[in-house]
Formats: sequence, C-alpha cells, structure tokens
Amino acid sequence: MKQPKQTRESSVLTRRGFVRGMAVAGAAIGFIPCARAMGLFEAPYAARNSPREVDSPSAVVSFHMDQPYLDASGSALPYNFPAGARSAAPAAAWSENVLRSSIYQL
Amino acid sequence: MVDFSNQPTMKGFFAPTRFEADVYDCEVIGKIPTDMNGAFVRLGGDWFYPPKLPNDSPFNVDGYINMFRFKNGIVDYKGRWVKTPRFNADRAAHKQLFGLYRNPFTDDPSVHKLDRTVANTTPLAFAGKLFALKEDALPYEIDPNTLETVGPWNFHGKYRSLTFTAHPKVDPQTGEMICYGYEATGLETNDVFLYTIDKTGHVTRELRFKVPYISMVHDIGLTQKHVIIPVYGFVTSMERLKAGKVHWGWDSNAPAYVGVVPRDGEAKDIRWFKGPERATVHTLNARTEGDKVILEAPIFDSDPFPFFPPVDGTPWNPEKARAYIRRNTFDLNSKDDGFQEEKLFQMSVSDLGRVDDRYLSLPYRYAFTAFTDRDRPFDEARAGNLRGRVSNCYGRFDLATGKMNSYFAGDTHSLQEVCFVPRTKNSAEGEGYVIGVASNYAEMRSELIIADAQHLEDGDIARVILPFRATSQVHGRWVDEDQLPFV
Repeated sequence: MKQPKQTRESSVLTRRGFVRGMAVAGAAIGFIPCARAMGLFEAPYAARNSPREVDSPSAVVSFHMDQPYLDASGSALPYNFPAGARSAAPAAAWSENVLRSSIYQL
Repeated sequence: MVDFSNQPTMKGFFAPTRFEADVYDCEVIGKIPTDMNGAFVRLGGDWFYPPKLPNDSPFNVDGYINMFRFKNGIVDYKGRWVKTPRFNADRAAHKQLFGLYRNPFTDDPSVHKLDRTVANTTPLAFAGKLFALKEDALPYEIDPNTLETVGPWNFHGKYRSLTFTAHPKVDPQTGEMICYGYEATGLETNDVFLYTIDKTGHVTRELRFKVPYISMVHDIGLTQKHVIIPVYGFVTSMERLKAGKVHWGWDSNAPAYVGVVPRDGEAKDIRWFKGPERATVHTLNARTEGDKVILEAPIFDSDPFPFFPPVDGTPWNPEKARAYIRRNTFDLNSKDDGFQEEKLFQMSVSDLGRVDDRYLSLPYRYAFTAFTDRDRPFDEARAGNLRGRVSNCYGRFDLATGKMNSYFAGDTHSLQEVCFVPRTKNSAEGEGYVIGVASNYAEMRSELIIADAQHLEDGDIARVILPFRATSQVHGRWVDEDQLPFV
C-alpha cells in the first residue's frame, strides 16, 4: 500500500531536512550568548535559590567597602562576579606545546 | 553536605577558602627589609559552614587568624581558624548551629549555653600573650607560634565585663591598656565597664557607667588625660532580637553622643556631648590640649553597613555611607552639650585608618588609610566591574599640612586595612613601612604589600605572594619580635 507522502518525509532524514535542521540548531546556539546577556538563563538559578538566597525579588548583589553585599532594594549598582576560572586566564594564550609542557611537566 | 551555592555574595574571589595553611619561605617580589622582624597578624573570617539564616551579617563569620612571620628577610605564612566553642560545636554537628549575628534567639536549642563568639575582629599582643578579640565576648588567647586556640582570658579573674572591645588602646608612655566592654552585664544591657590593665596583664582600675542608649561602642579615643566614647545610631532591643533580626539596626533619629571621661575619673565625671547623625566606628587618635579634648577619626555621615539597615524600613543609602577624616573638638568649659566638627580632607576614605602607634594619645602628624582613586586604571576584563569601587590606594595624610601622598596597588587589586610599622623603635614619626594585604582579583591570590611610608609614590619595596586567597581581614596588627614569645 502506498504511504502518504507527509509520513514518509517525517521518518526519513533527507539532505534538505538535515540542512534545515542544522540551520535551526546553529541559530539556537548563536542565541545562547545573547540570551545569557539578556538574563534569560537567570530565572531557573534564581528559582533554585529562592527565597533563601534572595530575600526580596528585586535584590541585587552590589559592592561596598571592598566586599560584595546583598542590596535588598535592588537599586544599587550590581557587581557581576567575573565568569570562569580566572586563574587559568593566562594559560589561554599559550600554545598547545607550552600548555602540555606545563601540565605534564615534560 | 556543605553547600555554599545559594550564598549570593560568597562567590568568585569572595568564596570561602575552607582550609588552614602553612607556607614556608613565601615567594617574594622585591626584597624584604631585613630590619622587619616580628609578625603581621591578621584576624578576620572564613565561613566554615554557610550561615544558618538569610540576611545575616558578614560580622558573624567564623574567626580565622593568620600571620606573616618575618625573620631575617624571610617570610612564612600560617593560618588557622579560631577554635571557639561555637566553631567546635558546628564541626561536631557538621552544620551551622548558630543563627544571626548576636541574636541567640535564632540558634539551635542545643547550643543555648555555649559562648556565641566567633572571635573574628582584632588580634592583640599584650602582656606577652596573643589574643583574638570580638566585642561580644572575652578575648580568646592564641598560641603565637602555632596559632592554635588556648581559650578565653579574663585577666586573672579581675576583668568582670562579659564582653571585651575589639579596640583596646595601649598607652605608649606607660604600657598600660585602656579597654572596656559594652553590654557588659549581658545581652541588651546599657552597661559599660572601662578598665585599666597594667603592662603585666593585671587589672588596676574599673569604672562602671551607662551609655545614653544601647548602641555599638566599637572603638574609643584615648588621650593622656581622657577617654572618649562615641555612641551613634545603631540601636537594638530584646524585642528586635525576639523578632528574629540581626543585633543592630540604624536609627537616623538617634543622636550621636560622645562621652568624655577623665582617665582617673568616676561615673559622675562623664560628660556627654551631643551631635548630628554620624557613625564613628573607628578612631585615628586623640589628645587633650588644655580644656579641649580632640578626637580625629574617619567618620561616616550615616549608616555604614548595608547588613544593618535602617529600622524605619527605608533603603540603606550608599551615598551617606562614606567616611571623611574629621576632627571633633570637645570644649570642657562649654556651657552646652555641642561640639565642633571639622572635615580635614574633602575626599572620602576607608574608615580602617591607622597612626604610628607610638604616638597614640599624643600629638601626632600622620594618619594612614586606604581610599579609592577613581582616576587610576582598573582592568574590568580581568577583575570584574569594580572600577571606582575598590580601595586601590594607601594614603599618608599629613594633618599638619593637609597634603596626601599615595601608593597605588595595581589595576586588578583591592587593598585591605593598612598598618604602619616603624623602621626602628627610635625612628621619627612616620619613618617606616606601610603594609597591608591586597586582593588580586585577576590572579585569585593575596599579596602582602610593603612600601616605604615616606616614599609611597615609589611603589612597593616588596610583595609577599600567597598562591591562594587569604581570608578576609577585619583588622591586622604588627607585632615586634620582643612582644611575644616567638620561637
């Protein structure tokens, strides 16, 4: 019995479908930094830590007397902890050979 | 399970370190002056377990004492927690049993009879002993070589206050210590016991009096004739504690009082002067000139601490949380209760200032403290968005000329409290070294700065590098080789 065309296309990966899928995935990956910058990934984190971490929904971590503090009003200038392992930052510019020599003491 | 992931301020450089340390023959950039023999002892804190409750004060952090030991141009480092009964109870329970800062009503019932102190504020070398101080308890004696905790000390049973200040003053002329405890007879009492203790550690005098309202009496001023007692806007009550709040809140309507009492006076001799809203958390120095008593201090306009917010529910105001070096003059011949206030420098500074301790209670010229120089560079890519928000300079403030000389720590650094070390016991005032720990946010490490106090613009003479983040310091003190039984 002849299969309906739509069903056959959904179960078989065609070259056209693959290319279309990759384009969508690429766009999604490209969107990640923008989403992070927009704070779209913060909601699950805040939810995980609420209410213990954030007493007030608008609270913000700011900086005073050389220490971070939690500003309950949310009006203070935020302090953004630098991301990543900053202690490894100098290694970012190393060549593969230098990096491996450093790690394995070759 | 220890989990700090839900502590929003304890991340990155400010995450707990959670280890004790020994570093022998520390890495040094530059050359350690060979005339520096003794130790730079720091006291501060590192949370071993996370706070039990949200909105706690960082002043509730577990005490951690650490020491840069200088000997013949070599520096060793050692760090240990202060093993108070509280610390030991937490360790045994594998969790934080104690609630909010100085609020026992928020504690686990199992620890109600234990000393709550974390002994995290000031190291003190006196009468041949090393102590860790916090103003809510007696001093804790520390072994100066191992930094292990010996236990509480009450000066041969003659010190009767239940509490002991983090800022005792040692008279350089007599060697005696003027110290005190507030909330001296228990939680929420307005009793202050003021003591004189001779240089062998024996109490020679006790004065008991009451303050106008229960407040934070964190520091005092000492002259050759008087003791100056600032009382300012932090308020507390038993109702407040029972409501589950931290010990202090700020009341902007509470007047700032300053008590002046002769060192040999009685309670009836205290004269209370009254001024506008201010916070004199730390003092620099004081002196008596004829009938005038003069106090110089970095004084805040209002509430300095965001974690002790206003009691009226208004938001804490960072614009008013700035300290300026001010001179308060109290005229003992005046007919009213007012006093004169002058702002000696127009720039705001860190209130953790110091003087050459050999001039404490005496006429002096130089004050040292950290400040923020917004014109200096800051590498935000490596050290975070803190341009203009970190103490990046130490300053020598010349109170005779109004001039200031400064040392810049670097474009990824933040400076903790400064300390002045005289070059020799007989050096002129201000001749010696400015030292202090810098936090290097880019390299995630701490660096002990040593600079020539008379040539701050030349940069540092040496930096002692720790390959990790040292615990945060509240106060540090230089201890000469002959002050403690070092081995």
